[in-house]
Amino acid sequence: MALKALDIYKLLPKKNCKECGDPTCLTFAMKLAGGKADLDLCPYLSDEAKSVLGATTRPPIRLVKIGVGTRNFKVGEETVLYRHEKTFYHPPGIVFRVTDTMQADEIVAVTRRVRDETLTRVGADLRFNGIAIENVSGSAETFARAVETVEKVEAHLPPVLISKDTAALKAALVYCGTYRPLLHAATQENVKEMCALAKQHGCPLVVRSGSLDGLVNLVKTCTADGVPDLVLDLAPGTFGDFIRRSTAVRQLAITRAVPDLGYPVYLNAAETGQQDAAVALGIVKYGSVIVTDPLPVGSAKAALTLRQNIYTDPQKPIQMNPGIYRVGSPDKDSPVLMTVNFSLTFFTLQGYLESARVPCFMLIVDTEGLSVLTAVAAGKLSEMLVRDSIKKFGLENEVSHRKLIIPGYASPLSGRIEDATGWKVLVGPRDAAEIGEYLHEEWKK
Amino acid sequence: MPPELNFGWTTPIGEVVLGATNADGGTRRVSYRIGGGTTLPFLEGQPSTPAPLIAFEICDNPSFWSPIVKEYCGDVTSNVNEWAKKADADYGADLVRLHLTSTKQRNFSDVASLGPVVEGVLLATSLPVIIEGSNEPKIDSEVYQKCGEAGQGERLLLGTAEAGKYRSIAAAALAYNHSIIAQSPIDINLAKQLNILLKEIGVQRDHIVIDPYTGALGYGFEYSYSAMERIRFSALKGDSDLAMPMICSAADTLTIKEVREAGAGLQDETAIQWELFTCLAAATAGAEILCVRHPGTIAPLRKALAGMKQPAHSAGVP
Repeated sequence: MALKALDIYKLLPKKNCKECGDPTCLTFAMKLAGGKADLDLCPYLSDEAKSVLGATTRPPIRLVKIGVGTRNFKVGEETVLYRHEKTFYHPPGIVFRVTDTMQADEIVAVTRRVRDETLTRVGADLRFNGIAIENVSGSAETFARAVETVEKVEAHLPPVLISKDTAALKAALVYCGTYRPLLHAATQENVKEMCALAKQHGCPLVVRSGSLDGLVNLVKTCTADGVPDLVLDLAPGTFGDFIRRSTAVRQLAITRAVPDLGYPVYLNAAETGQQDAAVALGIVKYGSVIVTDPLPVGSAKAALTLRQNIYTDPQKPIQMNPGIYRVGSPDKDSPVLMTVNFSLTFFTLQGYLESARVPCFMLIVDTEGLSVLTAVAAGKLSEMLVRDSIKKFGLENEVSHRKLIIPGYASPLSGRIEDATGWKVLVGPRDAAEIGEYLHEEWKK
Repeated sequence: MPPELNFGWTTPIGEVVLGATNADGGTRRVSYRIGGGTTLPFLEGQPSTPAPLIAFEICDNPSFWSPIVKEYCGDVTSNVNEWAKKADADYGADLVRLHLTSTKQRNFSDVASLGPVVEGVLLATSLPVIIEGSNEPKIDSEVYQKCGEAGQGERLLLGTAEAGKYRSIAAAALAYNHSIIAQSPIDINLAKQLNILLKEIGVQRDHIVIDPYTGALGYGFEYSYSAMERIRFSALKGDSDLAMPMICSAADTLTIKEVREAGAGLQDETAIQWELFTCLAAATAGAEILCVRHPGTIAPLRKALAGMKQPAHSAGVP
């Protein structure tokens, strides 16, 4: 049962010392109530307050940090089952797997790829997140050498060390023990030794079980042994099994019905027999650390794009800065296309304009991120906005003609825009895909 | 034992029948009953509903179709009957979705030619068929009348009704007992509104498939994904005006920049992965018909969907 902010406030020291980072104990209490702060931030809590507040105020899913330095990633601290209820906060880390039976140059190539590969979409740089090294040789020494090979690239990528053998992990930790590698995995058989290793190096640890009860038991053992940063491997047998239990874990965690399941979920897509599909399902169904063999270019791009889509805040459309954008090298006679500053509209139109190979100007007006259709309906896109934008961005100095192409869905405004601006308005297609044909046929006239 | 998952759902998704076999007065070799789900997709303990269906999209005038598909499928794209046959026998689709792209030609008026096109496709494949009519309001009424008539008795799925144009398609569906696709622009309220309009002119719930409109992956897909989740959620909570199965067709997928400009030798792979990722995400959000245009998408999609329908099967790790 979650406590209200005022109930929590009564248990706080009320010193307003700001040491937790909040200006007052009351604002800290409000954050605790929303699962947005960690109780440990307050240094002056009484033991009584700790025991009362402990379980109910920490975020329902623990935030776990993997790796150090600029490429570290954090997963967990999610609060909803559906992205439309609020948003998903921490995109899953997608980690490429190498094995210790691969040639050193192959291992180096994969490490460099994760270090360097970037997909730029909608103004964001999308990347893969880390390197998983799996001990399939059965030899601790070979495993350690593979980890050393990865570390020698100095890519500073978060490592995931996969081995059933604690001796092998121990040997590997010599090379990356201070980089917060994720250790995989503690099971019923080895949980004690794994905890000792994780504790010694301050590492996050994966616990692996095919049943929710099994996971709960492992979590209890690990936290009692002083290993708080855990990730859950559900050991799914089928995709359906993964969807079902991953949803159960998320639901039971966010409702605090089973607080011991309040940890991020791990998925090894490489062991499912259909890796690309597993990556897709991991992204949509609550996976937080997704291990996969290096993805071919097609599925690599699709995976990064799906992850970006699902983890976009549904309440805040991504916006472009309003202004004049050029496609190619337009001159005084080039066409001008007006549209809104919803980034998706911008990038879709820009893509089709580039492939049309007609140099032109894009006049982007500020509709606060609304699409054309909704901006027209809500009155955000108006003739005054267009008139003011033309003046503000100095469009009159860019071209010698006075013709403005507007989106098809803005056609109801065409007359009013002509009256307000004195520009001749041409109504373009509704669908950006048809803009190339439109420019070639209509503009050339 | 952790407590069982309980979301408090009250109402199952309604069912729609696609295709009519001999027994039902048609000539299809199979008919499908879609819908009927009682919880979120793939969460049933003992699955009682079938896996989502895969529809392969073809057209009668390939000049309006993706060059990637034309290149991959070859000459067959210029013969719609042969193409339909191939979709059925070689590509292994569950449904064939015919787009009458010939109606997109400037000043198209030869509506009489469409009846034989539909009849030809119905002869070429014995799978249930989806027919996409025109985009031109002036000829809509005639086009849907012809399609409906040509497919009489076959229990077609006709597309696509929108808020501004649903009367002629509804008339054809009612006259010849077909079902229809009701499309709204990525908005749960507009989806509901359209379903109410259809109800008011007599189209029964069990003859409607919702199309919440699918933006391509990377181009608005997240809005479609959430619209689908919200529609499914509301339906299970008891909103009967939204309790219909859904269809997902990410028709723009093959024209987006990432796929178009994938580079030599990578276009097919990129197109397939883009369709696969989109369809799998849409299936988890509630879509029950998944439309694809690249034949290479069908096999991996079917394999993944089969895995998603197998729940009680953990890897046996204690």
